[in-house]
Amino acid sequence: MTESTAAAHSDAPPAPGVRLKTAVARYGTAVGGILVFAVFALAADNFLTVGNQFTILRQVSFLVVFSLGFTFALTAAELDLSFAAVASLAGVVCGGLVHHDYPWPLGALAALAIGGAFGLANGLFVTRAKIPSLIATLATASIATGCAFAITEGVAWVGRWDRSFLWLGRGEMGGVPVLVVWMALAALIAVFVMRQTRFGVWLTATGQADEAARLAGIPIRAMKVWGLTLSGLCAGLGAVLLTASLSSAGPTSASDFLMKGIAAVLLGMTMFEPGRANVPGTVVGALVIGVLANGLVLVGAAYYVQDIVLGLIILLSVALSASVLTKAAFTV
Amino acid sequence: MTPATDTSGTAGTPILSLEGIGKTYGAVRALSGVSFDVRAGETLAICGDNGAGKSTLIRIVSGAQTPSEGTIRLAGAPVTFASPADALSQGVATIYQDLALAPTMTIAQNVFLGSELTTRVMGVPLLAKRRMRREAAEHLSRLRLAVPDMNRHVSDLSGGQRQAVAIARALRWQARIVIMDEPTAALGVRETRLVLNLIKEIASQGITVILISHNMADVIEVAERAVILKGGRKVRDTALAGWTADDLSHVIMGHEAA
Repeated sequence: MTESTAAAHSDAPPAPGVRLKTAVARYGTAVGGILVFAVFALAADNFLTVGNQFTILRQVSFLVVFSLGFTFALTAAELDLSFAAVASLAGVVCGGLVHHDYPWPLGALAALAIGGAFGLANGLFVTRAKIPSLIATLATASIATGCAFAITEGVAWVGRWDRSFLWLGRGEMGGVPVLVVWMALAALIAVFVMRQTRFGVWLTATGQADEAARLAGIPIRAMKVWGLTLSGLCAGLGAVLLTASLSSAGPTSASDFLMKGIAAVLLGMTMFEPGRANVPGTVVGALVIGVLANGLVLVGAAYYVQDIVLGLIILLSVALSASVLTKAAFTV
Repeated sequence: MTPATDTSGTAGTPILSLEGIGKTYGAVRALSGVSFDVRAGETLAICGDNGAGKSTLIRIVSGAQTPSEGTIRLAGAPVTFASPADALSQGVATIYQDLALAPTMTIAQNVFLGSELTTRVMGVPLLAKRRMRREAAEHLSRLRLAVPDMNRHVSDLSGGQRQAVAIARALRWQARIVIMDEPTAALGVRETRLVLNLIKEIASQGITVILISHNMADVIEVAERAVILKGGRKVRDTALAGWTADDLSHVIMGHEAA
């Protein structure tokens, strides 16, 4: 009852009950994540070690980069189910070039170009050919996977690669793994773009109220293309880091990140700005997923438990914040 | 209550002129030969039954559609509107029936939607959030409305308050003409009162209002003149001084009034 009164008389300050509810809605999941962390800290002996915490952060770093891309796309109310397959393809091309002794910056640029090109293609399929992103990106994912297998003939590039390339994924800066630095930079840039620039507002408006955005003169089709292109670019960037970190690249190297990335973003939608894909939520969501994945292994859970947990997280998150997602899945 | 003043004697170039506006959709003719002038500062109602051509006419004036024939003049100069955003940038703002606001965004974001203010920091254009909040609050206070927090989502506001946000956006564009499409259709008594007061407020500030409404009492209360459409043609163009809601209904339904 306090809620409806507050809604009707907007000049009245919200009642304490409403404020508590808002706080729970915004930060409840983050608190849940801390609880998960605490449980693992108590249950697994080596969970809290500095080494293990860095291991988690390294694993989370790829996830954050991929998930940021998915966040951009979903902000414009489009789904990108192709990012993991595109990342595998980009990794294979990048790894193949490095493997065959081409300069690594060429490999990195090629990965970004492939990611960007797939993202752009996704955007054009959605806005020009009017194919729902759910279908379009599923199709391009299949194409990317096929190309990756064709390039490597089914095997993975593995080798002793240029050390300056491997540093991108394995190096340290002042004791901190460089992957953590890349992750932090990517997240900070994403927050900055979404919060402080006109582009961020336009992308949000396109996803939140496309008709209002169009009437206000915002080029909503271009924004959707941008959202999907950024997702592709993040897939390319993540592919470079993953390839450098693994020192190998196979046609399914990044496929694990599809469900994890989606789960991270959807979990993030239950935080900070509930119901809306948002960068801080995505980062925290990815951390929670990373902690879960790591902790489950350390407490000796079977490998398939993780998949079940991811599925449950996706279901619960969407149940909590469904509207944007249904819109993304079922409209053009 | 401020009675609508009769400005039919005002001289000068009309702020908006429609000359022979027609619109066909394939074989279907929605409008033919509609001509009328709108004088600066007046509140004009466009009336007619369903299918009379009101919506088509308003879509044309607001830039959502282009006419098949005829000319639109703005302060005497012929204009074409490529889109509602284009019309808005030329000073013609339309407040849509479904409001065209982004409910999950803030009041300030909505007032500046699509035309956000920026400041350059080291060459990078950043959102001038504080300035947008301040200016949004100023535009809303021009509407004599108790101004809520500019960071609140529009979905938290009442129907009348949302109209105010939409009008504040028009004011931000320094709109000279505000078109309101059925502004009270979905509102209760109290909210309708609020919106009618909003219309009178902006009219008193010299802004020209074009009102499309089914509610004759609303029209009689705020409008000085009415253009009545029927079957896509203009059938009456009359000052409303001395008219009652019943008179207006009779004319719209096809019976001549006194």
